[in-house]
Amino acid sequence: MNLRGKRADIWHLVTFIGFAIVIVFLVYPLFDVFQYSFKNKETGELSMANWKEFFGRAYYMRAFGHSMFIALATTFFSMVLGIPLAFFTTRYKIKGSNLLTTLSVLALLSPTFIGAYSWITMLGRNGFLRNLLSSIGISLPPIYGALGIILADSLQYYPFISLMLAGSLMTIDRSLEEASENLGARATKTFFSVTMPLVLPSLTGGALIVFMMSLSNFGTPMIIGGNYLVLPTLAYNMFTSEVGESPGMASTVSIILMLCAAVVIVLQTWASSRRKYASMLVNRPVVKKLKGAKAFFAHLVCYFIVGFSTLPLGVIVFYSFRNTSGPVFKPGFSLDSYKQIFFDVPKTVANSFIYSFVAVILIALVGTLLGFVIARKRNMAVKLLDPLLMIPYIVPGTVLGIGFIVAFNRKPIFLTGTAIIMILTYFIRRLPYSVRSAASILKQIDPALEEAGINLGSPPGRTFRTVTLPLMQSGIISGAIMSWVTSMNELSASVLLYVGRTMTMPIKVYLSVADGYFGTASAMSTILLAVTGIAMFVVNKYFNRGSETFIAS
Amino acid sequence: MTSIKITGVEKRFGELLALSDINLAIEKGEFFTLLGPSGCGKTTLLRTIAGFYRQDKGDIWLGDELINDVPAYKRNTGMVFQNYAVFPHMTVYENVAYGLKVRKLPSQEIEKRVKSALKNVHLEGYEARTPDKLSGGQQQRVGLARAMAIEPRVLLFDEPLSNLDAKLRVEMRDEIRAVQKALGITAVYVTHDQEEALVISDRIAVVNFGKIQQVGPPWEIYKNPVNLFVATFVGKINALDVVLGEDLGAGLRRAQAGGLSFAVPGAGTEGCVDAVLAFRPEEVVETDESGGANRLSGTLVSTAFLGTVVSMELELGGKTIMIERHRPKKGDIPAAGDKIEFAVPPESCFIFDKRTGARLRAKEGR
Repeated sequence: MNLRGKRADIWHLVTFIGFAIVIVFLVYPLFDVFQYSFKNKETGELSMANWKEFFGRAYYMRAFGHSMFIALATTFFSMVLGIPLAFFTTRYKIKGSNLLTTLSVLALLSPTFIGAYSWITMLGRNGFLRNLLSSIGISLPPIYGALGIILADSLQYYPFISLMLAGSLMTIDRSLEEASENLGARATKTFFSVTMPLVLPSLTGGALIVFMMSLSNFGTPMIIGGNYLVLPTLAYNMFTSEVGESPGMASTVSIILMLCAAVVIVLQTWASSRRKYASMLVNRPVVKKLKGAKAFFAHLVCYFIVGFSTLPLGVIVFYSFRNTSGPVFKPGFSLDSYKQIFFDVPKTVANSFIYSFVAVILIALVGTLLGFVIARKRNMAVKLLDPLLMIPYIVPGTVLGIGFIVAFNRKPIFLTGTAIIMILTYFIRRLPYSVRSAASILKQIDPALEEAGINLGSPPGRTFRTVTLPLMQSGIISGAIMSWVTSMNELSASVLLYVGRTMTMPIKVYLSVADGYFGTASAMSTILLAVTGIAMFVVNKYFNRGSETFIAS
Repeated sequence: MTSIKITGVEKRFGELLALSDINLAIEKGEFFTLLGPSGCGKTTLLRTIAGFYRQDKGDIWLGDELINDVPAYKRNTGMVFQNYAVFPHMTVYENVAYGLKVRKLPSQEIEKRVKSALKNVHLEGYEARTPDKLSGGQQQRVGLARAMAIEPRVLLFDEPLSNLDAKLRVEMRDEIRAVQKALGITAVYVTHDQEEALVISDRIAVVNFGKIQQVGPPWEIYKNPVNLFVATFVGKINALDVVLGEDLGAGLRRAQAGGLSFAVPGAGTEGCVDAVLAFRPEEVVETDESGGANRLSGTLVSTAFLGTVVSMELELGGKTIMIERHRPKKGDIPAAGDKIEFAVPPESCFIFDKRTGARLRAKEGR
């Protein structure tokens, strides 16, 4: 549609608001981070000291190495888990494969720190599984450090691989593989020369997402990393530690983290731009029914992978109902931990719900309007705004948190310690997802529908309301629910920004684990898990959205 | 029922000149078709009439009203879209009623008009269906009913049949024409299908490179093309590069194509040497008798049996020529390699200037 009216319409205003948001809440704080990293702490002069120190001292370079190692290892193990699961569930008839998908999505969406914390309760210094195994003579290496992080990360992020790969495997037209067989290739040859090349772009895409998530993950290494520092925990420590606090150094670490993320995003964009084929789906691929030992083996693999990844969640739920006395678990079951939460910290629970609710309203509203502008109004300003809105993709939560503290702790905008800064954090972190999803929903809506509305006499505003919006509705709502879930579970930025009265559930879980109050942590985590599960159920049931929604979100 | 007048309309998209000096006068109640290859500007012109584009130069009038600055939603033009654009979140009834609700008509009036529009397109009883339960043809009927229900000043069709299968396309084509004539409403119809254009239109404008090439009734466009583009785009035609030679008397002139020699109408060809000779396959006369002008003999390369005609591809003097044999009888289909004798009547020959593509002919009459 190209209705070049001379009047300034509502979409100009929306574009302007988009720029205002980007400048005030992204460019300004990130510029501050940038400035800090090039400033001498005492004199305020321009200085490369932080950068020299980062590349000069083994302490920092080691954290960088750790980050790379963790991200690579996590990507590798996620593929080890995700590829067979995707292949078996799409090509063979696996009983309960819907359940398997649901559970793996739950593992993916659960708060990042829950897995780590659960593995501590199982395999930590006094973990029940460790004690159990050592009683039969098996002694395990300590879980704190690289091993624990990789374990928890891989089991959380492998669904990115399995879901994206499964999506792609399901949309390969059967006739392509049949053509290969018809031309004389045997099954293995067909797999490697036809199937694999077709799904490779989505496998690469999934792998890069896992790499990225693992690289910027803060909760897991913070809880289970021990002294094994990675970039996000290093930045956090540099920023918050009471002795030798160094915002300049934290900023430098932040920038390096963002650069790594930017490289990954570039690679990912490149990988997904090659995903052009697999669109002409006429005949769905065949799902083979296996028999005997083969069937048993396929089921075993699938159930083991998903079971292994959901185990930590189950353990948490189980522990939340155990009797506790302070930090110690006692025999028997009760709701004490829940009572404790609702009597001691009801405000924390309320905060989480209220902040994410307000943030989601903003996200859905602003995201939809900006998504419309980006999908339908391609003028110069919009073309400039589009990439700017994507900045939060490459800004890890820790970095955004640092930026917000530095920027909004002084005039002209003073926000530290308020609920507003928490809501804004959620809002900014989720905005690009919401904009993207609104824009992609719109791309599936034929512009001719809007033209038909206008042609029939309905002004543009009314057409948007009566034609476009109803068609976007279910996409917007399911996107908003996903935003709500991620906001409820946000830790990495908010842990830097909270004060006592703006504490949220993820922060409380993190603090409880640090203090050893596992009962409260379990109950709080269970609430977050339940919220996540209910949200998934609603999206699935009422909006008929498949697992793609969850990956896209 | 409204006339449309377009004067000096020009539209650019960046560097591309999409419409160039368009002048058209479409009469009340006329079925007017814009025909041309894809990318020729015909859809751009239709969308400019609808108000989805604003022309850079020139004026558009609907009846007595200059509509240049009237926004699309106030133009009261009923558009039928190529991909139907039926609102998927509304029932058939709601789709057809949409434009009427916008106009705030009383609900009884809406019901009456929806009913009559659906009757016109033979969709009575489908009111409560949702579009996903309809076939492509039914969806396009909803699109047509929806456009008619608002009683627009003109109906605009943007290749409405191109997504339908061949049989349905013919059926719908006849229906659109019948409904338009019954309501007496002015229609502008865009298509790239020359057969469709010939059948459905009162008049056709052939468009290419953003310019109107020729305007006229179907017969005129087919039988009397003004330039080589119109001649080759509408219908099948043989086109040979020729060198024009001496005057043969009786208004004829020599045209030489390699070893082949033709006598062609000479009027209007004065001063032109390099030209294109064109004639339609069905104008060729097969003959065994000697005598007559432009007698040729070719070797049969291939035949295609099309039911009512046999289309034959001949090779002669290094050129390929298509001719047709009508109402073939049993044993009438020759084999490849056969010699075929035929003649091209001089009066069936079109001569075009090779450089400009313009038709060379007598100034008056035909």
